[in-house]
Amino acid sequence: MSDKKNENGISRREFLTKGALGSFLVAMGGATVGGFALPKPTVSPGPSRRYKLGDPGKFPVGTAMKMDKENIFLFRDVEGFYAITAVCTHLGCIVVRVDDGFACPCHGSRFAPDGHVVEGPAPRGLLWLEVSRTPDGGVMVDADVEVDLGTKLVV
Amino acid sequence: MADGLPDRDISRGTKWLLLVSSLVVIAIMVGEARSNLSAEWRRHQKEYHKLLLAKALDEANKETARSFNIALQQVVVPELGVTDRCVSCHTGIDNPHMADEKQPYRLHPGTFLKDHPVSRFGCAICHRGQGAAVNNADAKAVHAYWDYPMLPGKMVQASCGQCHDPKAMKGRGGDILARGARLFESSGCRACHKLGGRGGALGIALDDEGRRIIHQLPLTELKGEHTVWNWLAEHFRDPRGVVPTSQMRNPTLTEPEIEALTTYILSLSKLTIPEDYITPDKYEQKYEALRPGRPNGAELYRQFCFSCHESGTYSRWDKISGRFIPAIRGKALAASPAGYLRRNIELGRDGTQMPGWRKSGGGLSNSEIGALEAYIRGGVKPVEMTASAQGRGNAGRGRALFAQNCRGCHGSGGKGGVAPALGSATFLSVASDAFILSTIKNGRPDTAMPAFQRAGTAGLTDVELTDLLAYIRSMK
Amino acid sequence: MEKPALTQFIDNLKSVPDAARRAFLKNGLPESERERSQMSFHNFFLHMQSVRTHKHSLRWTYTLGLGIIATAALIILTATGVLLMVYYKPSTELAYYSMKDINYVVFGGRIVRNVHRWAAHLMVVAALLHMARVFYTGSYRRPREVNWLIGLGLLVMTLALSFTGYILPWDQLGYWAATIGANIAQSPREVTDAFGITHAVDVGGLGKQMLLGASFVGEDALLRFYVLHCVVLPGLLMTLLGLHFWRIRKDGGLSRPESVDKPGAPDYKPVQPGIFKPGTEKTYGLMALVKGSKPTVGTAPENTVMSWPHLMYAEAAVFALTMAITLVLGYFLNAPLKEIANPMVPENPAKAPWYFLGLQELVSYSAFMGGIGIPTITLVSLALIPFLDRKGSDVGIWFGGAAGKKVFWQSVLFGAMVTVGMLALTITQGWLRTWIPNIPQLVITVVNPGTVLVGLYAWWSLSNIKRHNSIRMGAVAMFTVFLVGFILLTYVAAIHRGPNWHFYWLHSQWPPH
Repeated sequence: MSDKKNENGISRREFLTKGALGSFLVAMGGATVGGFALPKPTVSPGPSRRYKLGDPGKFPVGTAMKMDKENIFLFRDVEGFYAITAVCTHLGCIVVRVDDGFACPCHGSRFAPDGHVVEGPAPRGLLWLEVSRTPDGGVMVDADVEVDLGTKLVV
Repeated sequence: MADGLPDRDISRGTKWLLLVSSLVVIAIMVGEARSNLSAEWRRHQKEYHKLLLAKALDEANKETARSFNIALQQVVVPELGVTDRCVSCHTGIDNPHMADEKQPYRLHPGTFLKDHPVSRFGCAICHRGQGAAVNNADAKAVHAYWDYPMLPGKMVQASCGQCHDPKAMKGRGGDILARGARLFESSGCRACHKLGGRGGALGIALDDEGRRIIHQLPLTELKGEHTVWNWLAEHFRDPRGVVPTSQMRNPTLTEPEIEALTTYILSLSKLTIPEDYITPDKYEQKYEALRPGRPNGAELYRQFCFSCHESGTYSRWDKISGRFIPAIRGKALAASPAGYLRRNIELGRDGTQMPGWRKSGGGLSNSEIGALEAYIRGGVKPVEMTASAQGRGNAGRGRALFAQNCRGCHGSGGKGGVAPALGSATFLSVASDAFILSTIKNGRPDTAMPAFQRAGTAGLTDVELTDLLAYIRSMK
Repeated sequence: MEKPALTQFIDNLKSVPDAARRAFLKNGLPESERERSQMSFHNFFLHMQSVRTHKHSLRWTYTLGLGIIATAALIILTATGVLLMVYYKPSTELAYYSMKDINYVVFGGRIVRNVHRWAAHLMVVAALLHMARVFYTGSYRRPREVNWLIGLGLLVMTLALSFTGYILPWDQLGYWAATIGANIAQSPREVTDAFGITHAVDVGGLGKQMLLGASFVGEDALLRFYVLHCVVLPGLLMTLLGLHFWRIRKDGGLSRPESVDKPGAPDYKPVQPGIFKPGTEKTYGLMALVKGSKPTVGTAPENTVMSWPHLMYAEAAVFALTMAITLVLGYFLNAPLKEIANPMVPENPAKAPWYFLGLQELVSYSAFMGGIGIPTITLVSLALIPFLDRKGSDVGIWFGGAAGKKVFWQSVLFGAMVTVGMLALTITQGWLRTWIPNIPQLVITVVNPGTVLVGLYAWWSLSNIKRHNSIRMGAVAMFTVFLVGFILLTYVAAIHRGPNWHFYWLHSQWPPH
């Protein structure tokens, strides 16, 4: 009876067995995947990494400053604003400014003034971060958005 | 079959259970994933994105609109302990292009955000509500398990008081709050309530009253919404309608005044705000509290005395406290002997509801008490008491006389009744013999105290007066 | 001819997938009886089950799947618990807000928390019912006495885990439940105070201090509950559970009536000839050769089926069922999270989790008797059962047969009448202190509705032993009246107790607040 095969050649018993086991495995797999999705943070905790700097007039041409808490170098030259992260692309140490660019104290990486690697194990140049205007006319650095080397905000 | 079992599959029922249960598990997980992905805030951000695209006219704006990323937004301000996700739905809160849109996309009205950028203040620090929530109902939190639901309408001005001097908010977007602050002083609230260490002790101190939560308030008699602001407003309309045992006088306020006073009470908070956020006017308010200018007796009287004594020129029976509240101005007390009035203000009267107002009591400085005394006297000179005791009286006879003539009002043993307690240490130390004798003899004008040696009265003799005095002095 | 080593290396490298599959799965899915027994035997996770399972043990009407449900709930609790730990911050400043984050922003956080809550409830229910099943089928008798005791330990662990988890959200519900719990720990003072020896022997104060690390529920208490909930109690529970499973095998599998293995019994089926060929082949029988009277050696393999796949199906099905139940509940019903803990605003009524509400009702008569005395009496009585009721041939039969069923129903009736009567008396008339205002506390500690009920239950049990001339009947009577009492007290406390622990017929009659 239950052993009779239908047109597809699968017995009902086999169909039930496969269906039951299959759906069980899918359910357990789904639960596992769902479980792994949970630890992935939906929203980054802590304060926003979009730093509003206010009126661009506060930064005269020639500005080259380190935002210490944020670990960002902010520059303004005749072409405009740009920001370079101080976090070394090798293993995350904080680079320092030296005469000919930046140097990482941890493993000896050295970077040119525009951030590209000149020496050491760093796999790529220091990241350029997006500098943009806020709706109220101020300047803002977004530490989570990377831009191409040489992208400057014309003010 | 392989296991040597009969042809029937003994696990058949089990397999069905496995199949059905697994399908239910899958269905619920899919459902939950879907509801996570179609959350309220996602819908709002999609709508906002459309608005952005529609409004973008030039290329730069179009680029910004296109790069808009749907993601949960939150403002974190560690100094204030703020994690507010309101901006996940109120995406256009600081976008001037959104001035005419409907909620939740609309630009924040007024110029408030110019001085209070969302990134530095968050939202709930002013509006209250549950900043962590990501749906409207839980964020407003009126019927959620949350201590501080969102303040309705203009009552949000209450929050200005955390960093601003409420009185200084007039014309700066805080008119209602400023009005409430003035009403608080002029309605005589301080006669019973302390604020900043100044005020009576009959009511509770109000320093943290704005942070009260609904479960701390008696709700049995409350009409209308179970919210703190409705409770406060109802309580101002009819104190005993909300708390039957309340001794508070009915403040007789108009509806706008009630709203203003409610807003002001909601602003009273002991929450510590970081120094950076405190405004100069708040510092000035604090400075003034420490270095008061020349005291104004009339104003002080209004703040601290009026609620009970009213104009002070007549005695009245007070239904709520069940006793006479004596006249204290005009002829009645202003003419009392030098030092007597002042010491009564400083120390209060034991056995009555009159508290002491000195620094360690009601919080008034010496000069303020002086100004108050001067105002109460109103220029009337203290009397020189001349009556003197006729030798030593007999306390035993005095006791009998007291029982006949005085106990009705002053209570047996001088414990006080409708009239003040004569056995109180304060009274006995403050009142001179001459003052007591003279009062019994002549009574106290404008009060319930009659004269006992005048024609048509009990007509006590001088000896009897002395006996009474002896008895009163013997009371402890 | 040997291949050159390098060629061999490359060949081996090519066949790594096959070799690995062989290493992990041996010969793929089992086909023959022998491979199936090896599947059970060689697999670490499966070898705690015997190779063949008695058909009687697979009957739903016998086990009701309760033990597996409790275990499944535990597995779900462990998984969801670990996920919650990823976001939970055990400090009074942060705990409540981390719960809010789990609810609002963590992907799937809401349902994981809800499932954790519901699985906890389910585990308590399943563990209690499992105990009732084991009791009513007389399965605590020799050789299963030890496992009965281990089971009691597991029940206590389950309740303790549930309770310690209750405080962690740091909301009003948990805070006040923890306060009540801590004061129950302190309740031996009721007795030491009565004798005036608290200053010398303060057992209660010590208990509370050990639990809270302070005299109030605060930061230290939260951390202690966290450690208990996430480390200490799960560790103990897992250890005991391992022992519990191991003993099931040592004691010869699940209990069953002797009759089912006797030739001539209605279910009896002789082994089909030809499965076990004589010869050198190993058989399941040797694999299951253990000390004791009950392992399948001797009587088996009559009435048994291969554990792989039949027991596996049953276990998977019950696990999936448990998951489905908790997920459905968790999807539609949110676990409660009230306002943040506020020591200034007591919850009114502050109720313990439901499984402690029966105790809370007793606690409302006497903190010591309700919170410590009667629970101890109950646990000790339960522990003594297998040692008092030793002999009998009714193992594996529900209620031990028709007579037991009758005693069961009589006890349900008696238990309900006595309990409802005592509750009605207490609720309408009060108790000793209402009648004699200055009565010493010690008298109330000893004579209160709770202890009177326990006395009546004990009398009922003894009278049944006498009437039926059977210890087993006395045990059935006692277990049943206690169960009925527990259920009724829990019901009254959960539904009919309102603010100030007053009695209300309906929640809508509660004064507004």
